[in-house]
Amino acid sequence: MKMDLIDPEFPKTLERFGAGSAFECFNCGSCVAVCPLVSGHFPRKMIRYAQLGATEKILRDAKDLWKCLHCGLCSRTCPRGADPGELILSLRRFTLDHWKRWPNV
Amino acid sequence: MYDPNNIIQLIASNLRKTGNPFGASNSVINSWWKTVPLRRQGDAMLFTGLMYQSIPYIEMTTEWLARYEDTTLASYFRYGKLTPSFLVSLGFRLLVPQIQKRRFNAILNSVYQVLTNSNTDFCYRPELDFYSGILLHDLGDSEGFARHAAFVAKTLKANGIRKLITVDPHTTYAMKVLYPRVTGESFEVRTWFECVAPSGKSCAGRVTLHDPCFYGRYLGLSDLPYKILDDLGVECVRIRNSGEFTNCCGGPAESVSPKLNREVLDRRVEELNSANAPVLAMCPICLGNLLRAGIPAEDFSTFVERYV
Repeated sequence: MKMDLIDPEFPKTLERFGAGSAFECFNCGSCVAVCPLVSGHFPRKMIRYAQLGATEKILRDAKDLWKCLHCGLCSRTCPRGADPGELILSLRRFTLDHWKRWPNV
Repeated sequence: MYDPNNIIQLIASNLRKTGNPFGASNSVINSWWKTVPLRRQGDAMLFTGLMYQSIPYIEMTTEWLARYEDTTLASYFRYGKLTPSFLVSLGFRLLVPQIQKRRFNAILNSVYQVLTNSNTDFCYRPELDFYSGILLHDLGDSEGFARHAAFVAKTLKANGIRKLITVDPHTTYAMKVLYPRVTGESFEVRTWFECVAPSGKSCAGRVTLHDPCFYGRYLGLSDLPYKILDDLGVECVRIRNSGEFTNCCGGPAESVSPKLNREVLDRRVEELNSANAPVLAMCPICLGNLLRAGIPAEDFSTFVERYV
């Protein structure tokens, strides 16, 4: 079985990249239901990874972050005001920062 | 899908070199104003953010990206940043069809005419009309965006520009919401359709609106276009996902995946076709996308110009 390390401090790290209320999410899946991409579990899966601090998984699936259209429909309809769209944007910033620091990882 | 890092680096490099995402000079892209009497003095500056003018270039680039997406040649796009800007400008001059340039420049002429007919006190200074940098923000390059925004804000302020009239939702969002946050500089920003004065003319048309996401959700401006149409006596057929709950046309995906863009676009086209009415668009990216899908969409400004 493949194990992944988690980073319990990730919510604090992500604050630097702009995510504010993402950790209000209780994973109801409304964002997946309204997302125009109609693509698997996007963006819920990424939000869950962020909540868990599963940074290795985020970086492994990072290309998916750029599928987001930044249309804001998930944020408008989120029952918890968790702003999933802004979280995805923050994860893009986090990933770009990682790619700049460690280009070959 | 293209490697987002390559696309971001290419766009950031072009923005540093030429001030726009394409790597061609702004003067090649921005020529719409040459056919109107230039007003250099006025209360607010018309600020196009070079978006409508860029659509023929975006369309051509998307066509190339679509051709090589998911092929072994895709990774070579990263070397685009090594191309000198004069070569890119020359390429764009020769390859982008004139008819496309005229079509999108005409939309800006319509905005100019609507503002004039509405007795708006405005000016246009082509040398101060910059790309806002919004694509870099959307792709996650906050540093690149902040650097470009600081240059644009500083230059506008240094030239006494305090009020802007914008023409598209992305530039409006950038100048109204992001610039104060990122640069500390604020501008009084209005869209062109907030300046429309009733003319008393009316028509008995029937249309449907493809509301842009940014006017609907990020800027809370989606009611006004419906009111303008209502004042003109135009019947506007509301489709299932409209106004604040509008659906995206897929445009934002075109720089990293034209294939994904097309999938989302096809679903939106189906919704718009259900109205069985001519489609009006209010965003250059949406308009370019809808036209590519074969929908004979018209820009809201050219429609309004006929009656104002």
